[in-house]
Amino acid sequence: MADRLSYSQIDQTVLDTLEPPGRTYWVVLAALFGGVLIGAACWVYQIFVGIGVAGQNIPVAWGTYLINFVFWVGIAHSGTLISAILHLFRAGWRNPIARAAETMTVFAVCIAGLFPFIHLGRVWVVYYMLPYPNQRNLWPNFQSPLVFDVVAISTYLMVSSLFWYTGMLPDLATIRDRAVGVRKKIFTVLSLGWTGDFEQWRHYGRAYLFFAALATPLVISVHSVVSWDFALGVVPGWHTTIFAPYFVAGAIHSGLAMVITLMIPLRKIFHYERIITLDVLENVAKTIIFTGLIVGFAYSTEFFIAAYSHNIVEQETFRWRAVGEYGFGFWIMMVCNALVPLLFFIKKIRRTIGWLFCISIFVNIGMWFERFVIIIGSVAHGFMPHAWGLYAPTLIEFGIMLGSFCLFFFLYLLFVKHMPSVSMTEIKEAATGKDAHGH
Amino acid sequence: MHMGTKHHIMGLFTDEARAAETIAALKASTFNLLRVHGPIPGHKVTDALNLKKSRVGYFTLIGGILGFFTGFALAVFTADQWILIVSGKPIRAFVPFFIVGFEFTILFSVFGNVVGMLTQTRLPRFKLPETYDPRCSGSHFGILAACPAGEQEKLIDFFKQKGAEIRIFD
Repeated sequence: MADRLSYSQIDQTVLDTLEPPGRTYWVVLAALFGGVLIGAACWVYQIFVGIGVAGQNIPVAWGTYLINFVFWVGIAHSGTLISAILHLFRAGWRNPIARAAETMTVFAVCIAGLFPFIHLGRVWVVYYMLPYPNQRNLWPNFQSPLVFDVVAISTYLMVSSLFWYTGMLPDLATIRDRAVGVRKKIFTVLSLGWTGDFEQWRHYGRAYLFFAALATPLVISVHSVVSWDFALGVVPGWHTTIFAPYFVAGAIHSGLAMVITLMIPLRKIFHYERIITLDVLENVAKTIIFTGLIVGFAYSTEFFIAAYSHNIVEQETFRWRAVGEYGFGFWIMMVCNALVPLLFFIKKIRRTIGWLFCISIFVNIGMWFERFVIIIGSVAHGFMPHAWGLYAPTLIEFGIMLGSFCLFFFLYLLFVKHMPSVSMTEIKEAATGKDAHGH
Repeated sequence: MHMGTKHHIMGLFTDEARAAETIAALKASTFNLLRVHGPIPGHKVTDALNLKKSRVGYFTLIGGILGFFTGFALAVFTADQWILIVSGKPIRAFVPFFIVGFEFTILFSVFGNVVGMLTQTRLPRFKLPETYDPRCSGSHFGILAACPAGEQEKLIDFFKQKGAEIRIFD
């Protein structure tokens, strides 16, 4: 248990993770980099040949690029839930995993942010998204949810990066004080001269609290805005008012699952068992039950509303969603997101590492398919039967998707071996029985 | 800090409660309490120091107010550049512009928060103070006190009686 560790044991456990890595680490890193290169090569090919190498076409103009965009934005959300919302709720169990979850957030938003670029095709005109007029003095339309999204995602990237870095300052100083040579110089710059003076802590604690208080409404607004990319479009299956809360809950659901997926190998490899305890993972699992019930309720509500509305287009959309050509996606989504997490009601399952890991993978897959069902399934089967059509991703899209996953794990592996993957300060606070960052 | 005229001695404690007691005793003594460093912002030390509430929040608030008006004004300004009414919908559509205003509020609040934190903590500062002990970022609370020349033994004894490890800087 974390509360049995002394301050120096906590420091040592985390600092040991920063020792020079073995051969396996470099081999895994090289393999992931190979995946990144495959993704990059596919993107370069698409740039030279044209967006037609991807499978999107009318009526399905939004394919895996948008699925992956929403998927990664969703993954990013639980980092902020854990670091900000649970901080405000004084949930001490979030301390051991807060750093790792925030890191996941930052990298996931970066990767999500790549997909609109990739989806553009002509990536060099990306500046059209910025508030900058063209030669006819036409500016981006701030009434459009797509422009809300640019503002929201950019804000989220900046805020989560600053929150993450600010949270790391005391730990960077701890590393600086124990490093030598070039490493000491690097960490001297990175720690900005932090000395743990109580005058510094006084302002830092306050600033951290405000960060958490600001990140909380932000995280809810960002995925709401992402949901409006769809909900503000008059497309059956998209045009619904429950999308914002439904997307926020789904985002946290997928993010929590990814936290478990990442934490289990991390605690095993870095011997964090006494810091990231089974109790911590169990609490994440309990939260997954809660978010799983919300998404299950949202899926059911959509069907109920379609039936209750007597709107034949909505009814057909949802009939087709369950039993049409993409029905497999719907059932994967339903089983993986709403039913499988219910296994966590059984205490033995949520306290068994193997089960936790497997169920987290199921939820990750289910949440990817949720975006598939919503994005592809809705536009493929719109208002007019003569405009119905199917979509299948091409190898180029699979290559880019592989690249995005490899890039995420590549960045994550680089981080955990070179920076403190667990917040020493917050673990010390938890060990002393304090709330995080002086509150 | 006047390194020449005064002696600077740090008492290092692994126990926060003892550090807090020492701070209280040091305040009541003739010695000069300069700074306290610690690995965590412990409540006992914070209470013993009787620190005031930080003013970082004012920076955050000003940032937020500026942000809201910046975002809202940007949306209004850009809409005004192309006055072509479509389907009778308003050129200045305040409901969607509120969303832009909201996101900018958060963004600028956070910028204000960071500026506030950096200016109040006087960071970045790439040269550490000479009177800093690296143990303070690990497991020790370091209380830095100054005394006039000739009284250093008294100060050392004072810290030793409280159970501190001693670090003499000059």
